[in-house]
Amino acid sequence: MMRVAPRWPLLGARYLGMSVFALFTVFPFLWALSVGLAGDPSGIWHFPGAFIPADPGLGWFNRVFAEMPFFTYVGNSLILSALTVAGVLALTVPCGYALAQMDFPGRKLLFGAILLTLTLPSEVAILPNFVTISRLGLVDSYVGAVLPNLASAFGVFLMKQSFEQVPADVIDAARVDGASEWRVLWRVAVPLNLPAVGTLAIFTLVTAWNDYLWPAVVFFTRTKLPISVGVFNDLTGPFSVSTSLVMAAVVMSVVPVIIGFAFTQRLFLAPQALPARA
Amino acid sequence: MAKPGVSPLTAYLFVAPCALVFAVFTVWPMLFNGWLAFQDYFIASRNTAWNDFANFLVLADSQSFHIALRNALLLLLTVPLIQAGALGLALLVHRPLPGITFFRATYYLPVVITVSIAGVVWQYVFHHEGILNWLLGVVGVLAPGDGVPWLESSGWSLVAVMAFCFWKYVGYYMVLYLVGLAAVPRELQEAAMLDGAGTWARFRHVVWPLLAPVAVLCSLLSTIGALKTFQEVLVLTRGEGDTMTPLLFVYRAAFSGFNFGVAGAASLLFTLVCLIVAALQLRLMGRHNPFKRDE
Repeated sequence: MMRVAPRWPLLGARYLGMSVFALFTVFPFLWALSVGLAGDPSGIWHFPGAFIPADPGLGWFNRVFAEMPFFTYVGNSLILSALTVAGVLALTVPCGYALAQMDFPGRKLLFGAILLTLTLPSEVAILPNFVTISRLGLVDSYVGAVLPNLASAFGVFLMKQSFEQVPADVIDAARVDGASEWRVLWRVAVPLNLPAVGTLAIFTLVTAWNDYLWPAVVFFTRTKLPISVGVFNDLTGPFSVSTSLVMAAVVMSVVPVIIGFAFTQRLFLAPQALPARA
Repeated sequence: MAKPGVSPLTAYLFVAPCALVFAVFTVWPMLFNGWLAFQDYFIASRNTAWNDFANFLVLADSQSFHIALRNALLLLLTVPLIQAGALGLALLVHRPLPGITFFRATYYLPVVITVSIAGVVWQYVFHHEGILNWLLGVVGVLAPGDGVPWLESSGWSLVAVMAFCFWKYVGYYMVLYLVGLAAVPRELQEAAMLDGAGTWARFRHVVWPLLAPVAVLCSLLSTIGALKTFQEVLVLTRGEGDTMTPLLFVYRAAFSGFNFGVAGAASLLFTLVCLIVAALQLRLMGRHNPFKRDE
């Protein structure tokens, strides 16, 4: 491998460019952090001084905890995300495995239909799904919030593609040994396909955690809302009178995501599969 | 491809739960929209009546639907901007320099932040006295104190939405370009370098031919994304200041106007447009999908 030593001005320019763009990415949150920390809010609109908090303290954060059911929202987000991940895996793993390793009439049709919907706008399904969910009596319930997201086309696609990589010999050997197909799946195929299953779990978790629109439509009770909807409603409603309070709440909402992302960024930056965009 | 001892029945049992949920919450909504498009839907009584193309005539006459279509076309302007930005970023960070993971992760961060929370912060960035107007004043584009009311004015609010989309999604496409760049063989680059090719020549003749399929894929994903712009508008402007988009129109017609028929008609039209774009995608990509794994 040949390495041409980069001359330092070029390297410096590269790092300068990278830093400028990094600033562009994080400046809204740097300001939010500074505003949230500033005990004296008089300077928060005076730039660039606003990026350094005056009289720093945790007062605004304490007020957010006191005035907003923040941990209720976090708990709801956790419940919804956990249910979604469990449900998506429970549905798409067997489905993808069957599409990859079994032969049955209608296999191509099913996979084609699922592929087709990958490109269609899922947002237009919101109204019909709301009608369906209300007929099922599931409005304002966790099940109703999770159910429409479970048959993930992306999940089926990813599982099918990855289960195809598991050597058919290994699977057939287990079958010949008399293992039931269900056992072959969970004892042989899934352990050999753990990276893809893990990738799907993480992508599903992020999507579910960030889902805003459907929970906003399906929930009426404030204490059932996930963080994406509850915090947004509070910040654009009763809290909007105090910028400091809004920014403190924003920082609190973003921090868990940043921490989680820091631990899993490898999956996103060198993806084995493409996560959905939003 | 005979599989020993697996009856189709077993396969159907494996597929059935997923297929059922898929049928009810993905396929049925499309059929339901197609049916709603030709109905008057009376919410209170849940009665419906066939009304031919009346819903489409409503759309044809609707001022806000026209604005939505115009905005969808204008939002396509973000496609080249985001792609150029993403490719530039990818070229900037594709070499394994110290600290490079930190920069890549930072650029990707907006993608994993909830759109609603990000929207709240950006409402304040776009505030009359916010950072953006201050920055423009510093650079000298605006006279101090002469700020643009980004989210309220009908001319600028769509620009604000575009800026937000650029910020939110450029990191996503950067990663796709990074994957593409990683597939460019190092030997080719080195051979070109030994032949005395400059930076631009190497990019133009070695990297770009291999990266072009990625660029096509990204552009099409980005096109569909731009057409689907909706939640970004909902959390930034709630559709004020002429920022109506097709999906926001559907949402409003359904949940504010309670006109399910019109919502269904708009959904049907929009789905058809997306199908056309997807068909175009398949035509252009064919079997050359750069992200398809080889068997």
